[in-house]
Amino acid sequence: MRPADVLVEAGRLAAEGEPFALATVVNVRRPASARRGDRAVVMPDGSVHGWVGGSCSEPTVVREALVALADGESRLVSTEGSCASEGAVEILIEPQLPAPLVAIVGESPAAATLAGLAAAIDWRVTRELDDRADAVVVATMGRGDEEALAAALSGPAGYVGLVASRRRAEAVAASLRAAGVAEDALARLKSPAGLDLGPIRQEEIAVAILAELVAWRHARTPSAPPPEEAVDPVCGMTVALVGAPTAVHEGITYAFCGPGCRTRFEAEPERYRAVEAS
Amino acid sequence: MRDVLDTLERWTGEGLRFATATVVKTERSAPRDPGAVLAVSERGEVAGSVTGGCVEPAVYEEAQAVLAGGPPRLVTYGIADEEAFEVGLPCGGTVHIFVDLADPAVVHDLAAAVREERPVALEVIVAGEDIGRKQVVPLNGHADTGLAGDVFVAEFAPPPAMYVFGAVDHAAAVARIGKFLGYHVTVCDARSRFATRERFPDVDELIVAWPDEFLRGAPVDGRTAICVLTHDHKFDIPLLKVALETPAGYIGAMGARRTNESRNERLLAEGVTEEQLARIHAPIGLRIGSRTPEEVAVAVAAEIVATRRQAAVPA
Repeated sequence: MRPADVLVEAGRLAAEGEPFALATVVNVRRPASARRGDRAVVMPDGSVHGWVGGSCSEPTVVREALVALADGESRLVSTEGSCASEGAVEILIEPQLPAPLVAIVGESPAAATLAGLAAAIDWRVTRELDDRADAVVVATMGRGDEEALAAALSGPAGYVGLVASRRRAEAVAASLRAAGVAEDALARLKSPAGLDLGPIRQEEIAVAILAELVAWRHARTPSAPPPEEAVDPVCGMTVALVGAPTAVHEGITYAFCGPGCRTRFEAEPERYRAVEAS
Repeated sequence: MRDVLDTLERWTGEGLRFATATVVKTERSAPRDPGAVLAVSERGEVAGSVTGGCVEPAVYEEAQAVLAGGPPRLVTYGIADEEAFEVGLPCGGTVHIFVDLADPAVVHDLAAAVREERPVALEVIVAGEDIGRKQVVPLNGHADTGLAGDVFVAEFAPPPAMYVFGAVDHAAAVARIGKFLGYHVTVCDARSRFATRERFPDVDELIVAWPDEFLRGAPVDGRTAICVLTHDHKFDIPLLKVALETPAGYIGAMGARRTNESRNERLLAEGVTEEQLARIHAPIGLRIGSRTPEEVAVAVAAEIVATRRQAAVPA
């Protein structure tokens, strides 16, 4: 895949709302197999499409790309010291995460106002329950709050909020409890939804809720669990376990930066076993 | 009421009698805010809404009774007690609605004030001996629409001003959310290459001028929000000095912690007092972990709302 094709692929993934990291070689110290401007797309499963150098740099790129997808931050990584040769490359890794999807349930003015504001800050909005939603805000104003909340709390959404007064919020929680919704599920419910700004108007309520959603989004740092890593016992490189070649010796699993290191390990495991995989 | 004022003015012009039903107070989660109006003409035409459909039929009957010569009345809808009953109520909350005959002179005064962008308030007595008496008074500063004793006050002020300085990416996002909150938004930057319509299609006014010089001549009152996003001392030191001389209700300034500290030192050195400095929200926006310009805009909007409401804000 040529660098230009990688960009086409990246554009396609972004348009489809798929998360990925774009890796671009920005500096090269020879000898190295990559050239400045070489690119690759790294998927959340650790697969690489494109070229950012061979076994010297790819494991590092995958490891850092997975961390970047977890914390949302771009980073510049160097393969300094991880290669047998004297060459090294510097690679810019940019995570591309789709905008959060928020499901806003209910026909109330509060729901419509919040949907308008969420779209205005480029979040994706759906007006019905959706299992893919990162966050669910229920604002039916009494026309089915309990049903929508029970469904949302049994789903995977990380944020579930109810637009209601404090008193009504308590009544709804009591009703959900009586209907058999578990306490740990109820503990996830933000009710009433929104930072306590003392808001009055619909627009202000929407701002308070969206501020809480932004805070919630970034409080989960890292937003996904960090990828599991291990140290290659042969070359000492830290590699992501996802997609790495592995070998089992005396009941312990070892991970390697590439097939080369694994072959060397398998030839004389006793020599390398002192550095154990995690 | 603002949303139906055109219709009411037209009815007045046609010499029609009509009744207005106004939400004067809400409890718990009512669908519309105080000030929402449903109007019913003697021909049976309807404009506006008070709850978005929940109690409109009942309110329509009250309006008809008033048009037929009945007295003005304050009516309440919703189940007030027993939370158990409240759950499953088709329309949550309780609304208090005042229904009376419209006064053509009052409609005329309100419409004129809105057209001329004069801040006024409509005061209506909703209980007691003088029930139904109303007047339009000039408004100084901020008044919340709502009930104060037996008097319902409805604010009719032109949109408050938001001035955004620095035509950066964050400015477009802040301007967009400022419009959403009902502000008349002006973006100002000294650099004509940045302050372009292409970059700021939504703002009400786009000004190429030195920020401090522009603000010195711009109207500012207690409702005004000033957002300083230049984070360049060359612009923001003189600008903030001017801003601190105004009665603006909100002044926020962008900048990393170190930028802020050096800016504060400069401002103090130039004669700004610690008390004045405390008026500046910096770094701008509530701490909600914002990263993108849009998220920063949400943080700024939340801070403006909180400041406006003088609420205790979680740190």
